[in-house]
Amino acid sequence: MRMICTCHIVPKDVLERLAGDKKLSAELRQAARASARLSDGIRLLRDQAGALTQLAHEAGAHLVQLAATPLVTVYDCKNTQTLPGTPVPGAKTSKDATAKRTFAETTLVAQFYKTVFGRNSIDDAGMTMMSSIHFGKGYNNAMWNGSQMVYGDGDGQLFVDFTKGDDVVGHELTHGVTQHSLQLAYSGDAGGLNESLSDCFGSMFRQWSAKQDVNAADWLIGADIMGPAAKAKGYKALRNMAKPDDKAALAPQPTLYSQITPGMDPHYSSGPPNLAFCTACKTLGGNSWEKIGQVWYAALTTSGAHPNMTMPQFAARTRQLAAQKYAAQPAVASAVDAGWKKVGL
Amino acid sequence: MQPEDRLDIERLGGFAGMGGPGARIRSTGSLPGHALSADERQHLAALFGGAQPATGHPGAADGFRYRLTLHPAGGAAPRVVELPEAAVPERVRDSVHDELI
Repeated sequence: MRMICTCHIVPKDVLERLAGDKKLSAELRQAARASARLSDGIRLLRDQAGALTQLAHEAGAHLVQLAATPLVTVYDCKNTQTLPGTPVPGAKTSKDATAKRTFAETTLVAQFYKTVFGRNSIDDAGMTMMSSIHFGKGYNNAMWNGSQMVYGDGDGQLFVDFTKGDDVVGHELTHGVTQHSLQLAYSGDAGGLNESLSDCFGSMFRQWSAKQDVNAADWLIGADIMGPAAKAKGYKALRNMAKPDDKAALAPQPTLYSQITPGMDPHYSSGPPNLAFCTACKTLGGNSWEKIGQVWYAALTTSGAHPNMTMPQFAARTRQLAAQKYAAQPAVASAVDAGWKKVGL
Repeated sequence: MQPEDRLDIERLGGFAGMGGPGARIRSTGSLPGHALSADERQHLAALFGGAQPATGHPGAADGFRYRLTLHPAGGAAPRVVELPEAAVPERVRDSVHDELI
């Protein structure tokens, strides 16, 4: 049996049972025993990594900057699910278009966070931005695994290479930023907020890259990774922040906070906060990242660790920050208010 | 899990939010128990028996989850577990196909 990534994925009690199963070969039992021991170590390491992130955040400031500008690295999984894969040397000029694009877009996201928000990488301390490409075979997904970005090639029908979406790259990196700031959980209101923040900053990055104001922006998520089969059926994106219940979206969402119920997937419950952000941006006009984006960034990074933050709490925080940061420009707070009222908050 | 049992699989979540209430992608598969190795059946039996898979990194996001439904031969009530992708054997993951609905 081959499991992905590392042996710690198999539950320890299963490994211990396998280790003691006399029907299995001595070699297999020995391997299971060794894996069970490793499992303990990896679990401890993961717990300590989580505690360190929490501690660093609570300290309020990073004492040491790893780098003034983050290193961007790209690894090739060569269509396996073994992370991180092998390093791609000279990714910036690689003949592999996916590697070259991943390097370029990740570097651009780093510039976006630095230039627009004054943030130095994912952790604001110059953390290396690591991506693995060509993950799995025809893999229809991209994700943040807690330490790095992972991109599949898509099956070529429903989806194409996930690195083709600049909003996808911005989305995944923002999950890292959230992990190092609000530390939102991945269920309930907090899960929906977690996903929404990644959509908001992914879309803002897309708009900033294209120098688009809020009216020129498409507000779509995943438009550039739609495959031919999806396009042939009229689907134009995964999600539409301006119209979450859009029938042309592959994953339409609710538009009101009252429609959210416990147990919903965070990619579904992110609809209302996505619409609130988009509405606030459109109400104010101009560039999304200049004022409303600054309010959202401040809510993300100056609220302390708040793993179970609810959407009403986040709405209240953005209202408060808009009023504080832009006291001389009440239109900003009014736009934020209009955004949340649109979704019933 | 026995070779005569059947396993139904549904892939959920991911960046595309598969399996959501309005999602237009159906991501499913099915395997007879005999298509799995003895080790894989034993691993799954432990999970259906209540063993908790290792949780991923607390900050991780957009990973797939799998809802597995075990249909025991002989008509006993089906059992359902939902697991992170990393806990699901490769052969089971590979049996799932995405389609537009």
